[in-house]
Amino acid sequence: MSALLEIENLRVDFATRYGPVTALNGVSLAVEPGETLGVVGESGCGKSITALSVMGLIPQPPGRIVEGSIRLADEELIGASGRRLRQLRGGEVAMIFQEPMTSLNPVFTAGDQIAEAIMLHQKVSRDEALKQAVALLDRVGIPEPDVRAKNYPHQLSGGMRQRVMIAMAVSCRPRILIADEPTTALDVTVQAQIFDLLNEIQRDFDAAIVLITHDMGAIAEMADRVAVMYAGRVVEQGSADAVLDEPKHPYARGLIACIPALGKEDGDGRPPPLAEIPGVVPPLHLLGEGCAFAERCPHRFQRCDRETPLLAGTAQHPAACHAVAEGRL
Amino acid sequence: MSEAAESPLLEAWRMFRRNWPAMAGLAILSVIILVTFYGAFLYQGDPYEIVWAPHEPPGVAPEFPLGTDYLGRDIVAGMLTGGAPTLAVGASAAVITMIIGILLGALAGFFGGWVDNLLMRVAEFFQVLPALIFAMVLVTLFSPSLTTIAFAIGVVSWPQTARLTRAEFLKIKQVEYVTAARAIGAGNLRIMWRVILPNALPPLIVSATLTVGVAILFEAGLSFLGLGDPNTMSWGLMIGANRDYILDAWWPVTFPGLAIFLTVFSVSLIGDGLNDAFNPKLRER
Amino acid sequence: MASYIARRLFYGLLLMVGVVVLNFLLIRLAPGDPAEVIAGEMGGATAEVLAAIRANYGLDKPLLTQLWIYITQIAQGDLGLSYFFDQPVSKLIGERIGATILLVLTAQFAAVFIGTTLGVLAARKPNGLLSGFVSVFATVGYAVPVFWTGIMLIILFASVIPIFPVEGMMDIRLRNADFLTKAVNVLYHLVLPAFTLAVIYLALYARLARASMLEVLGADYVRTARAKGASERSVLFRHALRNAALPILTVAGLQFGSLISGALLVETVFNWPGMGRLAFDSILRRDYPTLLGVLIIASACVVIANLLTDLSYRLADPRLKKEDEG
Repeated sequence: MSALLEIENLRVDFATRYGPVTALNGVSLAVEPGETLGVVGESGCGKSITALSVMGLIPQPPGRIVEGSIRLADEELIGASGRRLRQLRGGEVAMIFQEPMTSLNPVFTAGDQIAEAIMLHQKVSRDEALKQAVALLDRVGIPEPDVRAKNYPHQLSGGMRQRVMIAMAVSCRPRILIADEPTTALDVTVQAQIFDLLNEIQRDFDAAIVLITHDMGAIAEMADRVAVMYAGRVVEQGSADAVLDEPKHPYARGLIACIPALGKEDGDGRPPPLAEIPGVVPPLHLLGEGCAFAERCPHRFQRCDRETPLLAGTAQHPAACHAVAEGRL
Repeated sequence: MSEAAESPLLEAWRMFRRNWPAMAGLAILSVIILVTFYGAFLYQGDPYEIVWAPHEPPGVAPEFPLGTDYLGRDIVAGMLTGGAPTLAVGASAAVITMIIGILLGALAGFFGGWVDNLLMRVAEFFQVLPALIFAMVLVTLFSPSLTTIAFAIGVVSWPQTARLTRAEFLKIKQVEYVTAARAIGAGNLRIMWRVILPNALPPLIVSATLTVGVAILFEAGLSFLGLGDPNTMSWGLMIGANRDYILDAWWPVTFPGLAIFLTVFSVSLIGDGLNDAFNPKLRER
Repeated sequence: MASYIARRLFYGLLLMVGVVVLNFLLIRLAPGDPAEVIAGEMGGATAEVLAAIRANYGLDKPLLTQLWIYITQIAQGDLGLSYFFDQPVSKLIGERIGATILLVLTAQFAAVFIGTTLGVLAARKPNGLLSGFVSVFATVGYAVPVFWTGIMLIILFASVIPIFPVEGMMDIRLRNADFLTKAVNVLYHLVLPAFTLAVIYLALYARLARASMLEVLGADYVRTARAKGASERSVLFRHALRNAALPILTVAGLQFGSLISGALLVETVFNWPGMGRLAFDSILRRDYPTLLGVLIIASACVVIANLLTDLSYRLADPRLKKEDEG
């Protein structure tokens, strides 16, 4: 069975004042129906751009899809007509964004905005759409949904706004829901609620979820499979259990090691110092021939500076690292 | 990887230099100022003297390349001598506006509370009065000398500068205040002037160019209406004096108007250039 | 909302009182005898006239009493007597205020609609031709003296392309015609003056609209609208414009003082029979009561315009409405 969403060798360039910069460099991902794929990495690694590419929301100047293919149920999205993309957006593929505070239009009510999403993809009257909107607000756990539907965004809390976004996104039963850092801007207590809600939605609507995050804890909770990205490439992929328990790529190892562990103590009875990955993500326009992670990697050797590593190893759990490929790890 | 830090003024000047409309504006304005200077101090002709037949078109009589007006006065003489009052009144009115505006705006922004409230009410009051009418009233009741006109324009135009200054002070007060207060100990207000005001300068400088432009147009309007100093020829006065004859002769009103336009245009190009130079991030849109 | 309106009305009233007091002070501060100032230098102020003025304005009484007399007079609509026309000032102004309001409102609305449209279209292609044109036009439009534009247009349309009338508000010969004919004729006369006045503000609003749209188009909620599958046109006009229009509304509302000043110049150039023209004529005749009367009424117009703008802004932006709701 072919995957629901297949991204193959996607390369996206951006024109900047330093010249063209490759934001996505040969990214390949697959999402099966009904599963949750976690995409993890630091800011700037390309996870959001991957999501925006699927939605067809990359502004085409200054961005440019240089090569690759994005297929939704075997339908090619790159080069598809504007009309077809608009049909799919919000309909088959929906997205929720990171900042609920600014992602809702301040001059329309919550109910109006959800109803608009409904009316764009279904032939229903405005009244009917508003009724569905209220039902959706109820479904996402907002109390007094009929009152809240008439509220403006500034009258709602951050958590409620994110629920409104989720309601909007699932209003037309999308087959894939892309969630780009959905809880980063929210309180910790609200985060857990939102993840619970996403899980419920997935069960009820039988939707696949692409969860983009930098939070390994969220991955552990929600993801079936994981893809780790760094500097525009996928550097490791596999089932969530495999990647979390036995990470291969040094970057993935670093990320997992960075998760603070409660309850551990060292010899003096103190909790161990927080681990960190030294250095910073290099600016994309300064990347050279070799592995982008080389500067920060404790296992760096000669080949790393000469040759960019590609995903290799087992089909279920590949990693893009020379040290792993040569068995040095 | 670190870049050598440049003085922000130097950096702004370099950005300004690259902005060709701004440099063009600077060039035009320099020419106008030079010509005006010549006309004010070196030129011997008298714009009031009747030298030829009325309504001589431009380019016909070689001594009068721009022609003559309805009385037979030389238009070139008028253009050369008319620049000085226009520019002088425009500049001094702008200075007065800036002084009043910055002073009151700074007080309002810095002290807040009832001072702010009171001053902003006063500013609003002056903004309610239609500027030209009020200036007309002032000029009519008190003699129409150049100084009166400059003051009248200043009295009417200061609220906008004051609001801008106030906003800047409010903003900077939050940022700089803590550090400055700690460094000085007992917050010395005078040092606040030296700390906050220099940081508030960039938008104020841009606003100053806007004010100069407005003041020049204002003076031109008053002169056009005949409310300028009757003993001084200015471009606005030339347009106003020849108003009844525009259908017979287009040139006595066209050239002075062009001169006013070029002056204000070059000033606003410079202002835009300064704005871009001080805010490079906004430009990248 | 009602309490807000009441507060703003009261505040507007206070402003007007301030204007009246200012007027009062100006007459007293001017050099010379206030009675002579009021009488003007025309009409040969006889001793009788001066005495009448002194009695009417109570000029021999203490200052505060004079102020009170003045305020009560104005509150009753008595703006004084024009000694030149020998008519009440309020009547003079009443005959002409309609023309000015027609001119100002037409210019403002034309400038807002055309300017906003230009700015919105320019924002779609920020580096395109239209955007560049808007930038240039904005700088040029602002730098041109409004009376000069008017004069240039008169020369153009009187001699070169005679399609629009260049003078007055209505053809005198039509004064007995029916309303529709008169209205059409007035509109015909309105074109050039309104256009002259509008050009400056058109440039301002176009530039502002473009900047505002660009900022809004970069906002997160526009991205959300696109992610929902909304069409580009819906994104532009429904989602973006509703938000981008707010700053334009604010700025437009603040222009009325400037518009009235500009109208004065335009009325003088085109011989448009409005309040501004009256003010100008009264200067030539040293008719101070009329001049000051115009100042008061014009200020009142600005206050009312500000109030209306403020109200419409509160209605348009739901974030401001919340103060009144529960």
